[in-house]
Amino acid sequence: MFNAATIWQVVVNGASLSAIYVLVALGFTLLFGIMRVVNFAHGAFAMLGGYALYYFWGRFGVPYVIAVPLAAAFVALVALIAEGLVFRWFYQRMFESMIALLGLNLALVYSAVMIWDVSERSIPPAFSGLIEVGGLLLPKDRLMVICIAVVVLVSFWVFMTRTRQGLAMRATAQDLEIAETQGINTSVTYRIAFLIAIFMTALAGALYAQIYSLSPFMGDRPLMVAFVVVILGGMGSIPGAALGGVILGFTESFLATFYGASVSSFVSFGVVIALLIVRPWGLLGTPDGARA
Amino acid sequence: MTIQRLCVTALVTALACFGAWPVLALEELKIGAIGPLSGGGTAWGLAINRGTQMAVDEVNAAGGLKVGDKTYKIQLVMVDDAYTATGGRTAADRLIKLEKIRFIIGPIGSPSVLGALSATDPSKTLVLSNGFAMNILKNESRAAYNFRTIDTTNEFAPAMIEWMHRKHPQVKKVGMLGTNDATGQAVLPMLTEIYKATGIDVWTDSFDRGSQEFVPLITRLMAQGVDLIDLNSNSPSDAGLIIKQARQAGYKGLIWQVGGPAVPEIMEIAGPLAEGFMSLEMFDFSSPIGEKFAEKYHAQWPGVINAQVPLWYNTTKILFEALRRAGSTDVEKVRDAVKATEGYDAGVIGPVVWGGQAKYGVNHQLLVPVWIAEVKGGKEIILEKITPEKR
Repeated sequence: MFNAATIWQVVVNGASLSAIYVLVALGFTLLFGIMRVVNFAHGAFAMLGGYALYYFWGRFGVPYVIAVPLAAAFVALVALIAEGLVFRWFYQRMFESMIALLGLNLALVYSAVMIWDVSERSIPPAFSGLIEVGGLLLPKDRLMVICIAVVVLVSFWVFMTRTRQGLAMRATAQDLEIAETQGINTSVTYRIAFLIAIFMTALAGALYAQIYSLSPFMGDRPLMVAFVVVILGGMGSIPGAALGGVILGFTESFLATFYGASVSSFVSFGVVIALLIVRPWGLLGTPDGARA
Repeated sequence: MTIQRLCVTALVTALACFGAWPVLALEELKIGAIGPLSGGGTAWGLAINRGTQMAVDEVNAAGGLKVGDKTYKIQLVMVDDAYTATGGRTAADRLIKLEKIRFIIGPIGSPSVLGALSATDPSKTLVLSNGFAMNILKNESRAAYNFRTIDTTNEFAPAMIEWMHRKHPQVKKVGMLGTNDATGQAVLPMLTEIYKATGIDVWTDSFDRGSQEFVPLITRLMAQGVDLIDLNSNSPSDAGLIIKQARQAGYKGLIWQVGGPAVPEIMEIAGPLAEGFMSLEMFDFSSPIGEKFAEKYHAQWPGVINAQVPLWYNTTKILFEALRRAGSTDVEKVRDAVKATEGYDAGVIGPVVWGGQAKYGVNHQLLVPVWIAEVKGGKEIILEKITPEKR
């Protein structure tokens, strides 16, 4: 079983899994890093991203390259209502935010049940089929997710390190009061960070729903994945989310292929527990609280 | 108020009272239903809910259910069990303690059924359910208050696997991915035994319920050189995703499901990649009876119809018939009447046949015919009908 073809396939599977995990974790870690809220409604926004893509692409026939960002932007804009009603009151209040956003998650999920019922649906694939390179099989939709994950990561890194707004966000994340004394409008900064975080979450949810399936309860898994990845990489750390996603994706691919799913789950979560004991702030987090 | 208006008001009030009289006269009898309305088994939960509701609506529309000298209006109380053992137990507790219900349809899935039985058995509540684990019927209480109304792997698998061996003799090795819970642990050994007895080698692995990423496991499975994947009793969601991801991973062999069934839901999830998929099917919607049933269903609900809907309708009708025959809502009398429904025909599945004595020690297993179906040209077509042997 340990032949070259299988090992290469494991690498390819690991890359595609990592891309999905990184995308799913980015929005989650950004909200924590900047605003210090643990977004338990993360899965619900991912689910809404899935439904938005279902309509824009699957029903209204909007071209795919437009439908994906449009769906994410639509959810992010609608989510501004939730920002005004719920999120805003819990910025910098980590523990209270958990309960409040858990409530918001339930409200969104069961609203979705009432609107779309509980049936699972599929979003039509934009790319189907395989690319075969030297006996190595690459599903086109997974390849697309890898490309999108790379583009999103690079764009986000450029935004955070090369733009004034990105600098303002980093400053706000590091010290709110000092940032305000330097003339940064932190309310606006928070709103922009919120929009970007929900945009990325909805984008991840849309792709997740397309690869797997769409239902009001589809957000449970992305929420769990985001949690594990972010804890592994360091709460609030964007490079940490990328590293955590890659580690989890490759570990799962390797272990599940060669030793089975049970061993994979056992070892993956075992590693997270061990890490939390020796380095509670995660691989790239900081002991005093992670920062974006 | 003028005399004329007063007369009209009196007339309208009198008519309303007389019109409402038959409804007011009916006593209410609550029937419980348990099934997954969230998570991977949702399609099956909806089947329980809708199949039962159709039978309830029918009996209420006909003036209610006559039990002894009373006529009852039936009210259905459906509770979500999230397809889990704790969900099954909680749902049963709620129905028994809060709703004071003595008759329950469902749940489906061994963990939930076993969870529910831990509450229904001590409280002597009658349960007509469907879970594949042996100990649902073969237990210490000898299934005192529960019946299984849908065939399990024990009933349909031998004939299905024999069919596969006959039609596809090139199949030498089957791979099965099952859940690492009561369902998977009950079904995989049963199927393994039957495949091996037929001369087909078996490879199995398990995964956590709720998993959505199967590609690594499929890569592992493909490396074993299997030429058939059996999706066994996986939920529609899991089965659909395994098909989709197996085909995307380049698996070119046969895929079928000796269990389930949920062909339309699987087609919804796997899309065009479901082409060629074969499955157990619990009902033939292309038959005249099936078409009529589907028409009645679609008058209420749009979208795909799960093949278990008629089976739960049938189950509910059997319960109603037992209540009629018992002439009482006494649980023990109704239970004995359920046993005596042999030969009763609810009009969709055929006459009731109770079996299971040889396998479970009690004749509490309803034996219903099943079909083998295949997805061809984006449609589900029936290949063959199989009737389980009475043992």
